[in-house]
Amino acid sequence: MSTFFVILIGQILVNNYVMCQFYGICPFLGVSKKVDTATGMGLAVTFVITVASFVTWLLQQLLNMAGLQYLQTIVFILVIAVLVQVVETALKKLSPSLYQALGVYLPLITTNCVVLAVAQKNIDVGYGLLESTLCGCCSALGFTLALVLLAGIRERMEESEMPAWMQGFPGALIMSGLMAIAFMGFGGLI
Amino acid sequence: MQHNLAITPSPHVRSGATTRRIMQDVCIALAPAGIASVILFGGHAAVIIAVCVLTCVLTEYVYQRLMNQRVTAGDWSAVVTGLLLAYNIPANAPIWIPIVGSVFAILIVKQLFGGIGSNFMNPALTARAVLFVSWSSIMTAYPNTVFMTGGVDTVSSATPLAALGKVFTGAEGASLADVGLADLFLGNCAGVLGETCKLALILGGIYLFIRKVIDWRIPVCMIGTVAVMYLLTSGFNAELTLKELLSGGLMLGAIFMATDYATSPQTNLGRIIFGVGCGLLLFVIRAYASYPEGCSFAILFMNVCSPLIDRWTAPTPFGEVKQHG
Amino acid sequence: MAKKATVGKTFFNGLVTENPTFTLMLGMCPTLGVTTAAWNGIYMGLATTFVLVCSNLFISLLRKIIPDKVRIPCYIIVIASFVTMVDLFMQAFMPDMRAILGSYIPLIVVNCIIFARAESFAAKNGPHLALADGLGMGLGFTISITCLAAIREIIGSGKFFGMEILPGYEPMAIMTKVPGGFITLGIMMILVNAAKKAITRRRAARKEAAA
Repeated sequence: MSTFFVILIGQILVNNYVMCQFYGICPFLGVSKKVDTATGMGLAVTFVITVASFVTWLLQQLLNMAGLQYLQTIVFILVIAVLVQVVETALKKLSPSLYQALGVYLPLITTNCVVLAVAQKNIDVGYGLLESTLCGCCSALGFTLALVLLAGIRERMEESEMPAWMQGFPGALIMSGLMAIAFMGFGGLI
Repeated sequence: MQHNLAITPSPHVRSGATTRRIMQDVCIALAPAGIASVILFGGHAAVIIAVCVLTCVLTEYVYQRLMNQRVTAGDWSAVVTGLLLAYNIPANAPIWIPIVGSVFAILIVKQLFGGIGSNFMNPALTARAVLFVSWSSIMTAYPNTVFMTGGVDTVSSATPLAALGKVFTGAEGASLADVGLADLFLGNCAGVLGETCKLALILGGIYLFIRKVIDWRIPVCMIGTVAVMYLLTSGFNAELTLKELLSGGLMLGAIFMATDYATSPQTNLGRIIFGVGCGLLLFVIRAYASYPEGCSFAILFMNVCSPLIDRWTAPTPFGEVKQHG
Repeated sequence: MAKKATVGKTFFNGLVTENPTFTLMLGMCPTLGVTTAAWNGIYMGLATTFVLVCSNLFISLLRKIIPDKVRIPCYIIVIASFVTMVDLFMQAFMPDMRAILGSYIPLIVVNCIIFARAESFAAKNGPHLALADGLGMGLGFTISITCLAAIREIIGSGKFFGMEILPGYEPMAIMTKVPGGFITLGIMMILVNAAKKAITRRRAARKEAAA
């Protein structure tokens, strides 16, 4: 139970992949203009990362058995790309409404480095299958939290008198920086 | 009058109250704590307060001049930021600390986003966090007060928070009697400039409440939540709880910083959520994280959340049909 | 237009006009993640440049063979192979730097600059242009992140390329942490945009004067 909490709090707040470690910045800045789209992207990412953590852990065992550890990067990224494709196709068939909501974001997930980073972290830390999946899910929830929070701020800022040269990326970067300061308070929580 | 603080069209009670009027009220409310800090920590406290206020106003003035904006540096809001920042700095800090902090607060946290009312995080608190993370050894070297052995030139070995933390975790040799209730209340304890004298802060809070500048929900919910959490986790130890409430930056934060209009929710329900959230985070950080005081980080984190809280608690527009089932 | 000028133009385009960091805003994770010291920026930039040049060249050479439908997995395999080469090379010959850059080296594989250039440039142009584009983009990336890293290093630890340059300076530690990265890049972007605007305005003024 305590490992569960360590992973949960650790991945969502203390070691938040976006706010504390600089992973997944591109989608974080790119898809955070509206709260609704940010939520959709977050859900899609959560789904893919959770499944990817599960699958890559199993594959790593195969690689270990075959002594092919150096192929890790290639195998993992291929699996993730295929997985994203599978999820997209499956969603289209099984739940067209969810597909409609998430469809646009799914292809983008392949190049979200949180997916690969979590998969490699699971192996480096030496988590078991269950812990890896949980870690994946919590990391993705942390990503979603940061994304939705930034989207909320950016939506609010649209109504304010922000100077023209702050619009878009520069403003989003400075907002993220200030947000990251707030996240620093969780240091040492676990 | 162009720069009213209110950013949403909800029916605010403060009709007719200008920014300048409100900010002047906040300054009056902050005055007792400032006077107390000079009595407690001596002349250097006054120097830090003056440097902070001057740098804040000057930065705002210079920026607005350079950017060809309407100069609003005279609206007293920069003075409030300066005062709050000064109250968050230890009295014996070198003079460049308040200067760097003030420039950061006004330039990056406030003016880059469009000035007053547009910032999403409290400028003074953000600057304090930046100083705290960057120069933690300076920012945590809390001096003793003039009335304590050694005087202002000596750095305190244990803040009330640290002592209480030991009691909370049940460390050996730690007892509640180490921290005197009267000392805590009157401010005769180590800490940053303005947070020590709770009497002055509470007086200021009452003044703001009577003048209807602040809403009761955020401070009451925040302090209440901290109290409940300490009561629950310490086995209903009322003395520990009371002392925890009176130590650290809780009073200063809850009364003056969490209630900042621009960075807290606009709706009543939102304010309750905001206050409870601040209290919970403060408790968690104080009790379990590596930083001794969680007040600033707790409020900053809830600042970040407040656009979303507003969004979720916004009243349904008039005339919309509620959907059932 | 002569062939040579085009190669030069493509190179310059990547280096300045369409600088990956400040104009295309691609590859943000390593840009922010490793730029706590100037040397890290240089090594990260060169590693990325190597992968970018090789993958651009390869994909350009194979562009008529790769079927359109499976092009994405093909690109991924090409890119991932070069990334693995760089990773193993660094592990063998510069383990210290590999330890500092950490997982950002294997993550070059998902660096969107490389993927974007493969898809939008290398797949459509000949090998010599693809090579010039890869080199220009790669060096543009290297220079940008090294500048960012140098600024963060000077303010955040009082050093320049690892040398103490400001005796008695109290380093502002937050600059080498996450918030410092975001805020520095944001401010640099504001300045670069302002400079760009000033240049365009001056060019327009000159054109007007000439006409």
